[in-house]
Order: sequence, then structure tokens, then C-alpha cells
Amino acid sequence: MASSLTLANVDAGYGAVRVLEDVSLTVGAGETVALLGTNGNGKSTLMKSIMGIVRPSAGRITATIDDATHELVGRSTEEIVDLGIAFVPEGRRLFPKQTVTENLLLGAYRPTARSAIARNLDFCFETFPRLKERARQLAGSMSGGEQQMLALARALMSSPRILLIDEPSVGLAPLLVSRTIDKIKELKEGFNLTVLMAEQNFTQAVRIADRGYVIVHGRIAFEGESAEALNNNELIREFYLGA
Amino acid sequence: MDASLDLLLNAVISGLLLGGFYAAVSIGVAISFGMLDIVNIAHPGFILLGSYVAYFANTVLGMDPILAAVIALPAFYALGALVYQIYYIAFERRQDQSLGGLSFFFGLLFITEVGLVLIFGVDYRLVQARYIGPSLNLGWVELPLRLFVPFLVSMVMVVGLQLFLSRSFLGRAIEAVAQDQLALRLMAANPTRIKRVAFGLSFATAAIAGAILIIIQPVEPSIGREYIGRVFAICVLGGLGSFSGMVIAAVTLGVVESLTATFFGPSWAPAVSFGVLLVTLAVRPSGILGR
Repeated sequence: MASSLTLANVDAGYGAVRVLEDVSLTVGAGETVALLGTNGNGKSTLMKSIMGIVRPSAGRITATIDDATHELVGRSTEEIVDLGIAFVPEGRRLFPKQTVTENLLLGAYRPTARSAIARNLDFCFETFPRLKERARQLAGSMSGGEQQMLALARALMSSPRILLIDEPSVGLAPLLVSRTIDKIKELKEGFNLTVLMAEQNFTQAVRIADRGYVIVHGRIAFEGESAEALNNNELIREFYLGA
Repeated sequence: MDASLDLLLNAVISGLLLGGFYAAVSIGVAISFGMLDIVNIAHPGFILLGSYVAYFANTVLGMDPILAAVIALPAFYALGALVYQIYYIAFERRQDQSLGGLSFFFGLLFITEVGLVLIFGVDYRLVQARYIGPSLNLGWVELPLRLFVPFLVSMVMVVGLQLFLSRSFLGRAIEAVAQDQLALRLMAANPTRIKRVAFGLSFATAAIAGAILIIIQPVEPSIGREYIGRVFAICVLGGLGSFSGMVIAAVTLGVVESLTATFFGPSWAPAVSFGVLLVTLAVRPSGILGR
């Protein structure tokens, strides 16, 4: 059962300010695609357009979930999540006054996910043993790394087919960044997910990505068909490697 | 047995029972103010509406007041959902809930009171039931049934709602809705619907609390105002969003008021209860069980 995501000629912005211009992008079934770019180039806006948080002014966004295709533009955020697309937003957006377990159970609010709750919870606790230790702790009192793990685990509790992650490495120590990226790979394989990940940390993102797009000033500036192609690209050298 | 010890024991018992009643009155505000951030100061008015529904069913149809409240629950729930929908469209959606919302609920309080005055008049009304009058004699203590039955009903309601909030998907979403609405949408839940359900429940508790109130004491339409300060004090004292804290605060306030009334005279009771609130806020601003 294949799940994929396609953006075709999407324009989006806030009021009169246009952030995305003519963005086309695909995430194929079972792929991990990296969306690369420095701050302020439109990565988050692109994620928010897919999730129905920002409404595109032009273009189409379609998702194929288990071989059924849905148009996403015009749907509410909760409808999109209910289709099977989970989003880990920038800043994690946990419920700080709820415990770890309560946060995870809220992740399973989606009716389809409720029957899989025990299995998903076991998987999350197995992948993130720290969350099991802290099951009764309030989410707001945990460290940044633990919060990022909880945000990932909570997204998986909804039994998604497609996972969107915005800047998983923000605010984490270098060692934690590489561990988080490894975990994303592990989760992707465990849940058989299709993943789109926005990231500034080029070297880390490329470690697990099959392909990537570089976004500059709201336009797709380069499309790398492999991690290698990304590594050897001039633009990326200029932006990230300072060469 | 020593007379003053006897007095003390009876004061504590009646304080506990009074606390149970306070819990029933406060639970609606614990939901709307504590969990939804809706400053529903009209809640005591809605409770009076519940009292008069029980009064009407009791005097006209000869129905038990608590049974009447249970039958009225769906109607109260629907009315609450409607009030929230109006509040949402007129204020919350426009981010105008703080001042606009406050005057909205203040207006609702007046409309409810005046409506009740026009229909039922300003005289004190009371209800008849088998448990109003007799007491259980447990040796040292007298357990007046007109306080004990409301206490039991109140506890059933509090425990039931607590179980619903902590065990159901909808309940957990209600507990989280005030913290981050976008995050809740990312859990596939619609925050407006969640708040509408929660406010409906909060309003429905007024049916039960109203029946309890008219069992405990005769009521007239503006009597709810006596409870506004106390109800908000109980919610803040217990810790916003925590039912168990709210019950502890309600019972503490009940016992403190009852002891003060017994040993120093009833006029001191409110001063002492707000004194307790001040001290708690100074020592522990998040309330007894606040997170």
C-alpha cells in the first residue's frame, strides 16, 4: 500500500507577502525526502501549506494514502491529519501541562489510530526508552531532546502513512541531533512511512535522505536525485559548506 | 462526652457536607474557567435556573428534585453548547474574549436572574422530598439527610466527570484544549467542537447543582451572586484545571466556614475563607494541586 505526496505549482504566503512561488515537489512512496534551506526561505510555510495551516493561493497539493488520492487544498488541518498525514511542527508544540503518557494518548485521537493504541505505544516506548521512564512526568518539564522525542512519538501515535517533520534538529546539542536523525530513520522503517523533513543541518539530513530539494527565497533552486548529487551541488557548497 | 468536642465534631461533619455542595457548584466553573479559559461568571445564574427547573418539576409534577435535574441534563447540555457557539462567533473567533466575553456572561447572568424573577417572582421557594427533614443518628453525630444526599450526588457527579476526562479521548482533548489549539488540530481534533462539548458539560452540571441548592436551602433568583466569589476562590485555591484540587479546596472551605460559624459566629465565615485563599496564593500561587 503506497503513500505519496505531490505539490504542483504552489504559491502561498501571509496576506500580501508571498513566501512560496511556483513550488513543485514530490515525495514518492517509502521515500525520505529532505527539504533544505536556511532560515526564512519558506520551508515552514511549505509544510504549513501541506497541513492546511496556510492556505495556498495557487497550485495543487495531493496526497495518495494507501492508493487513494486526496486533494489537500481547502481541507482543514484536522481532516488532513485524519487522512493519515502527521506533522511534527517547529517548536514541537507539546501539551506542556499534560504528562508524557497523556501527550501520547492525545496523539492517538484519530479514530483509525485508536485500535492500534497498545501496539503503537509499545513501539514508541521501545524506540524511546526515556519516554517510558518519564511516562508520568509533565511534558513541559523535560529537556529539549526529550521533548523532540516525545513530539516524534506523539505524531506516530496517530498511525500515519506520511510524516512531515519541521526542523527536528533546532535547539538540540550536536550529539542529540545525530541521534534524533537516526531515530527518524528507525521510525520510518518501523512504521513503513513516507517522510518529508525540513532541515537546516545539511550534513545530518543528507545522511538519511533518499533525495532532496533546496529551497531559496521561496523557490525550488535545486532538486537532488540522490544524496550524492546534493553533496556535490555548487549551491549547497555555497550555502552550507562555505566553499 | 464533652459538649465542645461534640460541637466540634458536628461542625466538621456539616462542613464536609457543605464542601460536597460547594464542589457541585464549582465544578462547572472548574471546567469553563479552569480548563477552557472562559470566564463564565454567569454560572451561578445557570445554577439558579437549575434550581427553578427542580422547583417547577417538584411543585407542579410532584417529581423528586434530583430526578428532575437528571432528566433536564440533555436540555442543559444543549443550552450550554448554544451559549458557547454564540460566545465563539461573537468574541472568541475575533480574539475579543477577555473584556467582551466578560460583559457577555455578565449580561447572561442578568438576563437569567430577571427572567426567573418575571416567571417565579422574588419570594423564596423550596422543594419537598422524603430526605428533607430527617437525620441519620450515628451516635455522636447527626447526619442531616438534606445535606448528606446532596453530598453523595455531588461526589457521584465529580467522580463521573473526572473519569470521563481522564479516560476518554474527548476528555483528554478537553484537558489539553486551552494549552495549544494548533497542536490539538494536529491530533485530528477540532478545538471549537471540543470546547463546545466541554462548555455543554459545564452548563449541564448547573442542573444538578441547582437541584442540590434548592434541597439545601430555599432560593430566590439573585441568591446565586452569594456564590460567585466563593466558587472562583475554590477553583483558584484548588489549582485551575484540577478536579481533585477543586474538591479538596471545596471541602476545606466548607469545614473552615462551618468551624468559624460554630465558634465565632456566621458573619466571620466569608472573611476566614477568603483569608485561606490569600494565604494559599501567597505560599503556593498555582493552587493546591495546580500543574
